[in-house]
Amino acid sequence: MSRIAHQVSSAVAFGDFVAEAAAAGRLVVQPRMGFSDPGQMRSGLIATKLADATTVGTITLDSYTRVGADGEARRALAEGVALNGYPIVAHEPSTTAAVVEGLRGRGFPVQIRHGSAHPEPIVAALLGAGFTATEGGPVSYCLPYSRLPLRDSVDNWSRSCELLAAVPDAHLETFGGCMMGQLCPPSLLVAISVLEGIFFRRHGLRSISLSYAQQTDAGQDEDAMRALRRLGREFLDGVQWHVVVYAYMGVYPRTPKGALSLLAGAARLAARTGGARLIVKTVAESSRIPTIAENVAALEHAARAAERAGTAPAGDDDSAVYQEARAIVDAVLDLDPDLGRGLVRAFELGYLDVPYCLHPDNAGRTRGHVDGAGRLAWSRIGALPIGHLVTPPRAEGMTSATLLTALTHVERTFDDERLERTAQMTLTTTTAGTTTAPPSPREHLTSPVTRTVMRVQDKALTAAREYLRDNGFTELLPAVIGPVTDPGGRGSKQVDVDYYGHRYKLMTSAILYKQASLLGFDKMFSIAPNVRLEPPETANTSRHLAEFHQLDVEIAGAKRDDALKVVEELVAAMVDRVVTEMPAELEELGRDKDAFTDLLSGAFGRVTHGAAVADLRGLGHAQSADAEIDWEGEAILSRKSSRPFFITDYPKGSRGFYDREDPAEPGVLRNFDLIAPEGFGELCSGSEREFEYARIVARMRETGENPAKYGWYLQMVREGIPASAGFGIGVQRFVRYLCGLDAVWQASAYPKIPGVVSW
Amino acid sequence: MELEKREFTVLVSSVASDSHTWNLVFLQLLLEELGHRVVNIGACVPDDLLIASCVRHRPDLVVISSVNGHGHHDGVRVINELRSHPDLIGTPVVIGGKLGIGGVDNARHTDDLLRAGFDAVFDDSAPIAAFREYVDALGALTAVTA
Ligand code: B12
Repeated sequence: MSRIAHQVSSAVAFGDFVAEAAAAGRLVVQPRMGFSDPGQMRSGLIATKLADATTVGTITLDSYTRVGADGEARRALAEGVALNGYPIVAHEPSTTAAVVEGLRGRGFPVQIRHGSAHPEPIVAALLGAGFTATEGGPVSYCLPYSRLPLRDSVDNWSRSCELLAAVPDAHLETFGGCMMGQLCPPSLLVAISVLEGIFFRRHGLRSISLSYAQQTDAGQDEDAMRALRRLGREFLDGVQWHVVVYAYMGVYPRTPKGALSLLAGAARLAARTGGARLIVKTVAESSRIPTIAENVAALEHAARAAERAGTAPAGDDDSAVYQEARAIVDAVLDLDPDLGRGLVRAFELGYLDVPYCLHPDNAGRTRGHVDGAGRLAWSRIGALPIGHLVTPPRAEGMTSATLLTALTHVERTFDDERLERTAQMTLTTTTAGTTTAPPSPREHLTSPVTRTVMRVQDKALTAAREYLRDNGFTELLPAVIGPVTDPGGRGSKQVDVDYYGHRYKLMTSAILYKQASLLGFDKMFSIAPNVRLEPPETANTSRHLAEFHQLDVEIAGAKRDDALKVVEELVAAMVDRVVTEMPAELEELGRDKDAFTDLLSGAFGRVTHGAAVADLRGLGHAQSADAEIDWEGEAILSRKSSRPFFITDYPKGSRGFYDREDPAEPGVLRNFDLIAPEGFGELCSGSEREFEYARIVARMRETGENPAKYGWYLQMVREGIPASAGFGIGVQRFVRYLCGLDAVWQASAYPKIPGVVSW
Repeated sequence: MELEKREFTVLVSSVASDSHTWNLVFLQLLLEELGHRVVNIGACVPDDLLIASCVRHRPDLVVISSVNGHGHHDGVRVINELRSHPDLIGTPVVIGGKLGIGGVDNARHTDDLLRAGFDAVFDDSAPIAAFREYVDALGALTAVTA
């Protein structure tokens, strides 16, 4: 997709940019990104700008700067300690100018996000560095962020608003729609957001955003968004304003799929209900500060989800959320003509009282809970002015366990959903702790998902056979046992069988027999079973099976490029057949057929191993130059791409003895892997082959193999075999990708998960 | 003599730069369920407020929690200050949470924090049971010496 297409606006001002994107029907997506290192901060902004989405940039400030501990920030910088954000006050103004030089401005506004109840030094620093968009609020930047008395925060924010309002193009966003991040019923969030919006307006701001953070239930969130927009129309008429949605701000899913699926929900919420901008969260949210690559992946994931979302039906804009929020706003506005004083008074009276907030000025008499339907509800309303609208159930006592259960409701729903969606799995204990076992034969084989997936597999294999036969290949039935097999499986164990008193092996791959086949057939293929006892730790990678199949292809006299071409055509033939003939099945599986548009429209990408390593390192991932791309690295690259791509030229030592070493470039192998997009990872491995006796023996020794084990094979090679190139496509991995499945075992009729006792 | 668990006073606190409070609410409930009296002094606690609170409440255990990623840096500063106060040299002080910004990598800060003077460090990756056992063992110990 063209990046230029996203340049919807050349606006300089933050509010104008968002307004123009909204008019063009595009959701603006924005990271919550901040690094203490100026170079990394700049790279992050560049990556945000170049992301395949309509973006604005963010500089999130670190915790020291937020609490005014700039000396501590300087000390940490001097000691080389990485902070959780960018210390805009501690860094020299010239340093900050260099971070955004040539980047910020026309078509790419940058917002400063912080969380400070004494923001004047920050506001002075950001204005001084030429920024005009920021975030805050007298209540929302005090209660969750500080122990400063609310009264002082109101004074500080009054002054800061006035500083900002004096600057052309200033934009201020309220954090009121988030507050503590979780367990606060939406009406109070909406009310605080609106009240702060009114506060900003009264202090002279002319461009404002109201916020709302995704909560536990999509329907309730849509009500809240409609309520917020209605209140915006009622109270902010005459100034420029929009609504910004935050992806869930509480305890976040730990699994990448759970995290992305929750994010997609936030994008849909914004797109369906007229949200103009979305602040994303990444797959790292539950554990650490995300990398640049993780931020970009989140932006693009959200943008795609928004594009597919459609709009919500008009809906009720007089919902319970609206009624409660309006009652709170009215009651607070009535307290004092000066809204700042009104806010302070409202907290004293408990008209505003945020559940679970420990700030001394918060009364602490309200409680929220997740009700049986998954919605956020009041369990205690204290003195909130909504008694005529709500009758909370009797509040249950709170223990550390029930608190954690409530806090992790969303996390568990999204992490478990990914595990539970396609099959109800039971837990089986293995040596290495607990691992999920596949369901019983009856459950698995009668499941509509398995049956559809198997029909997709059948269709893909039929297409493969037709393509290969049409191109002169002969199918041979594979060997299952032999005296020796492929030593290549990294870390996996081979299985012995007693063959008349001889120790034979189950095939870990067909490579030795493939090379043998060429004696009689120039172009051959097999669909061969492989057994590799992978380490039990791989049980949860979603991509390892102890028993699987490869679509193996070998071509006499071929070079690597010939093999790459066959891979491209073969993969396209299979995908095309399934997309054309099985649209209903893909839809049933929730697989968007647009996922294959790029794949079907041209050649696959190509990158050398060296370049991939450099790319990963550039993105902050520590990839070894001497090894295969590790699992995480592969996932990063895979997520960055919209179509499959080849990684070529692996270093010697990372692969088996049969991958041909480049005669022109010793140490580099003439091999390749095919990586699927969207994080599905490796689909296929192949290479030009070694075929000369002396070289094969030398390579065996280098890889620690004892040539003596390879009796029949070496005998045959000594007598001469053709040069060749070939590859194997992992059938279950390929079908997983086609069907968009969570785990590869779902693409096997009789799944064998590493380390798990299976049927 | 019977080894009986004694109720003691636990002071729960965050550090100066950290405003997260759900962790503190959780720890307070947990410690109360273990039968102890908890003084929760909240988030964004300046160093001098922490010291003053410790001197005032004379806690049997100080539990510091930080999740914003600065805990390893703030922790070292805080424990140096606590340990340099004559009344607090021997007070059991532990720290836990997400102590760096590196996720699973954070465990590497543990040794530095122990060396700086903490009695125990509970990295995010450690199960909460380990903390419970520590507190129980400390309760037993206090009973013997009391
Ligand atoms: C809710 C939340 C907020 C709310 C907090 C409101 C409040 N006042 O509490 C808001 C939105 C305001 C917020 C703000 C910020 N947050 Co915040 N927040 C979270 C979030 C989403 C959930 C935290 C939570 O509620 N957990 C529930 C409680 C019960 O558990 P817990 O805190 O994880 O603690 C557990 C263990 O660590 C352990 N534990 C904790 N302490 C101790 C101590 C001991 C002794 C023991 C034994 C155990 C223990 O017990 C708990 C239960 O298992 C997390 C990410 C996530 N987990 O999904 C980010 C997160 C903690 N926040 C983060 C950051 C950086 C910030 C900010 C600095 C903003 C920013 N740059 O993004 C500011 C804080 C400003 C400041 N001055 O510090 C980061 C920390 C990064 C890191 N450590 O690597 C996280 C991980 C998000 C991320 N990936 O970027 N946040």
